[in-house]
Amino acid sequence: MLFKTVNKLIILVCITCFVMADINVYTHRHYDSDKILFKRFTDITGIKVNVIKGSADQLIQRLKSEGKNSPADILLTVDAGRLVKAKELGLLQSVSSTKLLKNVPEIMRDNENQWFGLSVRARVIVYAKDKVKENELSTYEDLADPKWKGRIVVRSSNNIYNQSLMASLIESNGSENALKWAKAIRNNMARKPRGNDRDQARAVASGVADLAIINTYYLGLLANSSDKNDRKVAKKLKVFFPNQNGRGTHINVSGGAVTASSKNKGEAIRFLEFLTENENQKIFSESNYEYPLDYWNTKAKVHKKWGKFKGDSIHLSILGNNNADAVKIFDLAGWE
Amino acid sequence: MNKIYKYLKNEFFFGINTWNFLSILAFLFIFLPIFLIIYNFNIESENWSHIKENLLFGYVSSTLYLVIGVGLMSTAIGVGCAWFVTCYDFYGRKYIEWILILPMTIPTYIAAYSYYDILEIFNPFFNWSRNNLGLEKTIFVENTLIYLIVIFLFSFVLYPYVYLSSKASLLVQGSRAIEAANTLGIPTNKLLWKVIIPIIRPAVIAGTSLVIMETLNDYAAVEYFGISTLTIGIFRSWFGMYDMESALRLSSFLITFVFLILVFEKFNRKGAKYDNKGGNNFLKRIDIKRGQQSFVILFCLTPFLFGFFIPVARLLTWMMRSDVNLIDLDLVMTAFNTVSISLISSFIIVSLAFFMNFTKNYFNNNAIKKVSQLVILGYAMPGAIIAIGVLKLNSSVNDLFSLIIIGSISGLIFSYAVRFLAIAWQPIESSMEKLGTNTNQASRVLNVKPIKSMVRINFPFLKKPLLIASLIVFIDVSKELPLTLILRPFNFDTLATFTYDLISQAQFFQSSVPSLLIIFISLPAILVINKQAGKKV
Repeated sequence: MLFKTVNKLIILVCITCFVMADINVYTHRHYDSDKILFKRFTDITGIKVNVIKGSADQLIQRLKSEGKNSPADILLTVDAGRLVKAKELGLLQSVSSTKLLKNVPEIMRDNENQWFGLSVRARVIVYAKDKVKENELSTYEDLADPKWKGRIVVRSSNNIYNQSLMASLIESNGSENALKWAKAIRNNMARKPRGNDRDQARAVASGVADLAIINTYYLGLLANSSDKNDRKVAKKLKVFFPNQNGRGTHINVSGGAVTASSKNKGEAIRFLEFLTENENQKIFSESNYEYPLDYWNTKAKVHKKWGKFKGDSIHLSILGNNNADAVKIFDLAGWE
Repeated sequence: MNKIYKYLKNEFFFGINTWNFLSILAFLFIFLPIFLIIYNFNIESENWSHIKENLLFGYVSSTLYLVIGVGLMSTAIGVGCAWFVTCYDFYGRKYIEWILILPMTIPTYIAAYSYYDILEIFNPFFNWSRNNLGLEKTIFVENTLIYLIVIFLFSFVLYPYVYLSSKASLLVQGSRAIEAANTLGIPTNKLLWKVIIPIIRPAVIAGTSLVIMETLNDYAAVEYFGISTLTIGIFRSWFGMYDMESALRLSSFLITFVFLILVFEKFNRKGAKYDNKGGNNFLKRIDIKRGQQSFVILFCLTPFLFGFFIPVARLLTWMMRSDVNLIDLDLVMTAFNTVSISLISSFIIVSLAFFMNFTKNYFNNNAIKKVSQLVILGYAMPGAIIAIGVLKLNSSVNDLFSLIIIGSISGLIFSYAVRFLAIAWQPIESSMEKLGTNTNQASRVLNVKPIKSMVRINFPFLKKPLLIASLIVFIDVSKELPLTLILRPFNFDTLATFTYDLISQAQFFQSSVPSLLIIFISLPAILVINKQAGKKV
């Protein structure tokens, strides 16, 4: 009896989902900001947003195995590299939208308009105010200097943010120098890489190391956390944007694309456009502390506190192209 | 023509019929994803030499450290506790006996994150040691400490597998063995090594191999603590280098690992078939002295403390400390989803296992006997690898029939069947063996229809193992993460994916409620299993 009821309910739920389905989103983003954004989109357009969350790589595999029958309309990722990969696999399609072209800077979108950046993150140095002076810091490259021995913490190279940073270093300095850099950084680490970006910030705050390489929005999350220990951590740290006198700080985007299989292309494009609109860009900044696409114009309080910065201007598709090499260099450097 | 048909029918009288056909078909279907994985083991890729030269040794060695550490430690805890609670009498024994099983409700990923900041306790020491002993030594000490912590952490939540199987075996056989030992004048201090361990060895090994499989399957905890196991390597080559071939190759190492363990277990079990007759006399528990009592109680309470009490207490404090409203409609729906999909999957998977086991037994079918050895592979592979297999199957079906089999509830249940058929299989198979082929042969001779024999004879006899199997599958499905994460339908969350989602945003406070729900949902199931395991079948 119970089984029957449960079964019926599930079937019912499935049917309602199916009938009302408007756009189907595969997303790697797991932030509260997205809940707000999706709801806003539905309220304004009447288009319902169905979501499957998972890691971008697994979602890409799923898309690939579903082929042209895939129900997905949109793929959202937390970095540009994965979108490049999805494009290579033929899982995306070109879209024409003047709005997207206008709202998304050129380096943050595919040259065939297959994917578009939606929000920006910068990978920066955070340091303990009492141990490091700002004028001691300059570039990512400088962190390889022996003076930093035992003073740096960074997370594992399994992480895509590190892989993308390495991809940008390969592009700017060449593979050989990038390998030398990775080896030197590994030597300068205060401990074996472990934990996520937040844990690196915590490690610096507790005196395990003097500085860490993390994404900016993590610091925003810590500073606004409901846990007072997190807020304490944030208070002890300061942000430094590296390479300001050269190519600029490494940036990446969280981005989106319309899938090749999309059956609701119009709605899907509208969805991407919606996310790049000014009002909604604010939501990315205010509830998830990511930078808007025009990060130089950011109005968010946290960002103003950190100060303006110059971002690296390489085209973000390069991050995807160099990803496999980046992973190999980390392996060779012994950076777990 | 008719003659040939009749000849074939006679020759394979019990070989080819609807029952066997359906069983084998079901088996093949379930085995397909696993087959697709194994089929791809041998494809060379450009990155393989890079992995072999630079990484393989590290992956294998850290996996070995972990497996050996967790294996030994959980066996020590499991056997020790089982021995104390079954053979000795001490203060609070009855309560301790059942609280010892509770850590089983905690998935390794939740255990790991409830201890996420444990290393911060040691920060003052590390700071001191860096200044006084130097960086190199500090890093070495820290690395060793991390291994120890992960080994302790895993052992404290996984030992119940060993504890349960050892306890069941001790209950059945312990009393007579101890009596015999007493008659022969073997001193109490030699009892454990000389009598108990040799007798319960097969049960211990069975439990330990489950512990090891769980250890190998973990991704989240080792990732967090920065231990590069084979499972990490698999993910890294798949996602970092987009190299699924190398990922599958690495997983073949993992499978070899598990395969060796299984062979070892089978080998050991064969040597010691249980003789169950006359095991009904209750064990006379030995009273122990006061001084020793406190040691025994402390020994038994430690794993409970670290494996259940502390994690649950931490989750509860997080829940209390949070200022956000934690219980909303989403959470209720998610809990409902989890319970219903776990119930349905468990019902389907256990029915399937029962049906196939019955066919095997009733028709004495060799083909099913042989292939059934392979179902264990589903449980031996990490969930994420099974996901690759299911995706590969999906894409073949999609190419052929333009049909997508994943992304629906039934697709998800199918993948659970691939993964969990083995754990439903084992209790049913072993009880069927006890029932013996004789019973079913008798029904065949007496012309009792198979369906009647299944429902009227086999089912009543197997009620208990079926219940246990259903509960174990229920618990495993409700905790399952990687398969659900990648193969679920739109807008579908289980408590596990919900928790994962919140943890990846480091929203520990909010994640406490779904984590606690996962634990409390499996709690009644575990208590029933414990009760049943205490009784004799």
